[in-house]
Amino acid sequence: MGSNAAENHPISFKWLTEAREKRGAKIISVDPRFTRTSARADIYAPLRSGTDIAFIGGMMNYILQNKLYHEEYVRWFTNATFIVKDTFGFEDGLFSGYDPEKRKYDAASWAFVMNEDGTYQKDMTMENPQCVLQIMKKHYARYDVDLVCRITGTPKNKYMEVVEAYAATGAPDKVGTIMYAMGTTQHTVGTENVRSFAILQLLLGNIGRAGGGVNALRGESNVQGSTDWALLYHILPGYLATPEAKKHPDYATYNAVETPKTGYWKNKPKFLSSMLKCYWMEDDPAKSYNYLPKRIDGKNYSHIAMFEDMYKGIIKGMIIWGSNPIVGGPNANKEQKALANLEWLVAIDLWQTETSEFWSYKALERPTDKNEYDIKPADEIDTEVFFLPACGSYEKEGSVSNSGRWMQFRWQAADPVGESKADLEIVHKLALKIKELYAGSSRVEDEPITRLTWEYGHGDHPDINVIAREINGFTVVDGKPGPQVANFTKLMDDGTTACGNWIYSGCYPADTGNPDVDYLARRRINKDDQVDPNYPPIGSYSQWSWCWPVNRRIIYNRCSCTPEGVPWDANRASIWWSGEEWTGNDVQDFGKNTDPNGPGGRNAFIMRPEEVGCMYSKCNEGPLPEHYEPWESPVKNLLNSQDLNPAVQIFEPDKQGTTDKYPIIGTTYRVSEHWQSGIMTRTQPWLAELMPNCFVEMSEELARDRDIKNGDDVIITTTRGDIKALACVTKRFKPFLIDGNYVHQIGVLWHFGFNGYAPGEPANRLTPHVGDANTTIPEYKAWLCDVRRA
Amino acid sequence: MKVTRRQFLKVTGATVASFAVVDLGFDLSATASEVQGVRTKDVKPVPTICPFCGAGCGLVVYSRDGAPADGPQLLSVQGDPDNPINRGGACSKGSALFNIREVYSPETGEQEINPERKTKPLYRAPKSDKWVEKDWDWMFDEIANRFKKTRDENFEYKDENGIIVSRCEALASMGGAALDNEELQLISKLMRALGMTYIEHQARI
Amino acid sequence: MAKMTNLYDVSKCTACRGCQVACKDWNQLPAVIEPFKGNYQTHEDTNGDTFTIVKFIEGEDPVDGVYWNFIKYQCMHCSDPACMSVCPQGAYSKTSWGATYHDPEKCIGCQYCTYACPFEIPKYRAREDKITKCTLCVDRVEEGLTPACARTCPTGALKFGERDELLQIAEERAKFLRANGFPRATIYGKVELGGLNKLYVLTDTPDKFDLPLDPKVPGQITFWQNWVQPYFGWLIPIALGGSAISFVTTRILANKNGDHTEGGHE
Repeated sequence: MGSNAAENHPISFKWLTEAREKRGAKIISVDPRFTRTSARADIYAPLRSGTDIAFIGGMMNYILQNKLYHEEYVRWFTNATFIVKDTFGFEDGLFSGYDPEKRKYDAASWAFVMNEDGTYQKDMTMENPQCVLQIMKKHYARYDVDLVCRITGTPKNKYMEVVEAYAATGAPDKVGTIMYAMGTTQHTVGTENVRSFAILQLLLGNIGRAGGGVNALRGESNVQGSTDWALLYHILPGYLATPEAKKHPDYATYNAVETPKTGYWKNKPKFLSSMLKCYWMEDDPAKSYNYLPKRIDGKNYSHIAMFEDMYKGIIKGMIIWGSNPIVGGPNANKEQKALANLEWLVAIDLWQTETSEFWSYKALERPTDKNEYDIKPADEIDTEVFFLPACGSYEKEGSVSNSGRWMQFRWQAADPVGESKADLEIVHKLALKIKELYAGSSRVEDEPITRLTWEYGHGDHPDINVIAREINGFTVVDGKPGPQVANFTKLMDDGTTACGNWIYSGCYPADTGNPDVDYLARRRINKDDQVDPNYPPIGSYSQWSWCWPVNRRIIYNRCSCTPEGVPWDANRASIWWSGEEWTGNDVQDFGKNTDPNGPGGRNAFIMRPEEVGCMYSKCNEGPLPEHYEPWESPVKNLLNSQDLNPAVQIFEPDKQGTTDKYPIIGTTYRVSEHWQSGIMTRTQPWLAELMPNCFVEMSEELARDRDIKNGDDVIITTTRGDIKALACVTKRFKPFLIDGNYVHQIGVLWHFGFNGYAPGEPANRLTPHVGDANTTIPEYKAWLCDVRRA
Repeated sequence: MKVTRRQFLKVTGATVASFAVVDLGFDLSATASEVQGVRTKDVKPVPTICPFCGAGCGLVVYSRDGAPADGPQLLSVQGDPDNPINRGGACSKGSALFNIREVYSPETGEQEINPERKTKPLYRAPKSDKWVEKDWDWMFDEIANRFKKTRDENFEYKDENGIIVSRCEALASMGGAALDNEELQLISKLMRALGMTYIEHQARI
Repeated sequence: MAKMTNLYDVSKCTACRGCQVACKDWNQLPAVIEPFKGNYQTHEDTNGDTFTIVKFIEGEDPVDGVYWNFIKYQCMHCSDPACMSVCPQGAYSKTSWGATYHDPEKCIGCQYCTYACPFEIPKYRAREDKITKCTLCVDRVEEGLTPACARTCPTGALKFGERDELLQIAEERAKFLRANGFPRATIYGKVELGGLNKLYVLTDTPDKFDLPLDPKVPGQITFWQNWVQPYFGWLIPIALGGSAISFVTTRILANKNGDHTEGGHE
């Protein structure tokens, strides 16, 4: 659900097929159209884009009403037992504490009742009407099957097939996994969509268990790593919040505000201190904290906001490391115009992206003669563009982290093409050049650069092992790198250790001088772990590469056992209590000697201050997921009178399309043969021949209605722009019956641009600048449009 | 000479990392003889990880020893049978990894560098409608100067409340989800040292 | 010796088309870029530079609803191949383990095999004036490797091994599928044309996968095999007529006279 795994993560089907063959697993595909995944699924259920919470809410209701949840798991490992203050309220789609002016909630009224000793008040019987389980039961009682199907457009019999099959995984000897991707996240309720999956999985006892989980199928080879390294405005490497000026004016205040009293995050000051030492080794962390950029409090710097600010001229210079926003970014016409307001742009890629050529005449072409989107021609664009050719992934060496957090090494297999260089060399030489320009400056504002520690060997190409050692961390001796630390438990908050990214600490734990041995990402021993003949292997492969944290393959694995420490299911045993310690086929996510019957022995979620899985939690739009319609929707919300998520930030109110002009739901997606904005696949002849053009899928009913034939050129229009694409008229898309009326949906591939062997127009010229209330991920997956024959 | 399974395992058993990469071999006493030998025979496969989706499939690259640096070098790119994630399997994108560097010309059938690959730094001047080739040194000089100029003109050391903020809101960095971790470590470090607050990558979109 | 072949199980195929690309990688084939025609399957057929394709066939069943069938299509390596029978140059041969091998050195590009094949597999590659087709990766197999397509298949839909063993697996699989939601599941390649050296497990009848229910070698070809070929090419115009065929004979005769330039580009 929310992913088309067979299409976009084909190898995942190796394991789904195996699970079906060996264990009789059932594969369920929930998707607006019948996909390659649906073709291989046991059950296919369609749903209208943007109605996932209604769909899952109905499942939760069924599970709660029929008591199909995994009761012992829920009692011990979730906050179902926690008592919520009676200030909490919910009425007609709004939780208590809402400020309509600011479109923001004050979450204070949602808090838990605390005991005097600072612990949480609980009711282990889960019968108190103020306990989380009962609040959830009441909240989701509104999601009855008929109403849910009227919202989602799912045929009731198909819906019930899904509900019954999935609810069966609540049995302790069964597990279910949810594989999701951008079909889940790219909505104004994206975060709550994912949370609804997490809550469902907690209810069924499917978290922390082999074969369970909520699995993000990541779309890029190292989007895991680049998130861990926080190439994002809101975090620092290792998921520490970026400082905000008023909230975190200095080092001491940051630590005081950001460090919880319970849970593993109480070690946060050690991680920040070590990161600061890694960046500015010769300075005290309390001083070098001042070198870190501080955000304006509460300001949104996310992708959409960044391009809005670029459009306004706030941003003057930009560097792009292999990204193509005028194909991949939302409202691509606007993002293209925003680029023209830059003074300079540096673009690094293997290929000429559409973004690096945004000023060219090719970028000017639109399907209609009138240029109503006011795209400027080359001679009116003043932006200087610097294009740097990067080399390919096997023309250099380095590690990448996959969806399962495995840090795997790639060896160099060929020379870089032409003069192309590794990004590693590019950033290194750029840093040296910038440091050279600032050398000799004694200005205090230049200290972040003049004091920056940048010692990666002498040649043009930095020593990758020096970087890997810095990522792992070491003891600082006399302002210089000393011995490696074993892992993050050895990091200190007094400036005596340095570590580039604390969650990766342990990947290079010793320095014997042989990187093949020392850098654990390079390990290639493909033996599955088994320490006890009674417990079969679960696919840990702990000596293959390395996995964060501390080589633990399944996080929260304490939940794989009963409260007493016995695996729920011997065939899926991760870890177990031997009577003296935790042992097993994986690294325990828990104190090795913490007795399951002793204090804290059942606190399975060590990264949470509550130390349990949070079904009820604080998000910007409330403590429990509630269904809201997309920003552009052809129907009213049938569950409450709030159509749009009340906490969403509106960037362009005048661009909201309405059903009189745009009656059709549009969505975007990908195909197996292309990748993301397509620049790395449209340039591959073997892939271009498999998917040579941009197409739009639509039902036979809609095509008949609009007199469109399979293979025709069609024009899709929205308030943001138009594109031309080829029609793919298919039985696999059907109109949705929504509350008694038929609603059409179409889907456009978003891989295309004007370069490469497989050209086409960018579907993101259609998508809106509106995003999720927590992350501002754009709502690519549900918007309004119209379609006609070209 | 035909290679037996035993010999075969031996010749393909060594990689740059000195760990076994074995193909999915089977025993077959070959008889037909009109075909040429396998071109990857005696070539050490070099393990890599697929640069496309986040599954992390292993692939092995066979490249010709001693081939000139500026020309075609590859023999084949295939799934890595040792990698527990894919056990030798590869989808269309993974199987097409050869094309990232090289292609077979549709006109001649000859192997050549993928013509879409960019091999030289390029500069586009204001109002221009074309690229101009430049050398790397010129590029690094010019780019570093742009960074310094924009930073110096827009850097805020303290905000209106006197808080040290060390930020430059006129600079932005984007992307990185296709790069290596070691590269990200340096990028994260440099971008933040420059005072950037607008740092975003593909996870958000 | 034992026959070696691929078993292809459609119920496990996700149509990722890894096989199609791996085939190009191994056999060093250029791309053939054609415009999108309203189906995911861009190439309607194999061609001189595309030995295998995955077909996408969608339909709707009144009971089961929408289906989307995928099938890998390539040379079937017939046990008694018509292409081999008709080739005037003896460019085709059978390996002892069952592959139908086409030797480009001997091929003169006459294209007669393209008319003979009941599956329309051999294709003409103009730039070399040769016929090409799937080789079952003879070079790999004879070195103890699996064919490129089977090697890359992520889901195990393609499996390479001894035909007898695979046939047994196929029988069991079809039986399993018939009992589990696919009452019309069947095997293809076991008996067709006396047994193909390619085996398929299908979830539905062969016509739902664009496969001929009862493949036959064209009648004219049978005639050629038995009567014409032994007397070389000179009888063809009389026997069959038609411009395509006279083109073929002209080529054969030209080659006989030593005028033909091998590998010439036109």
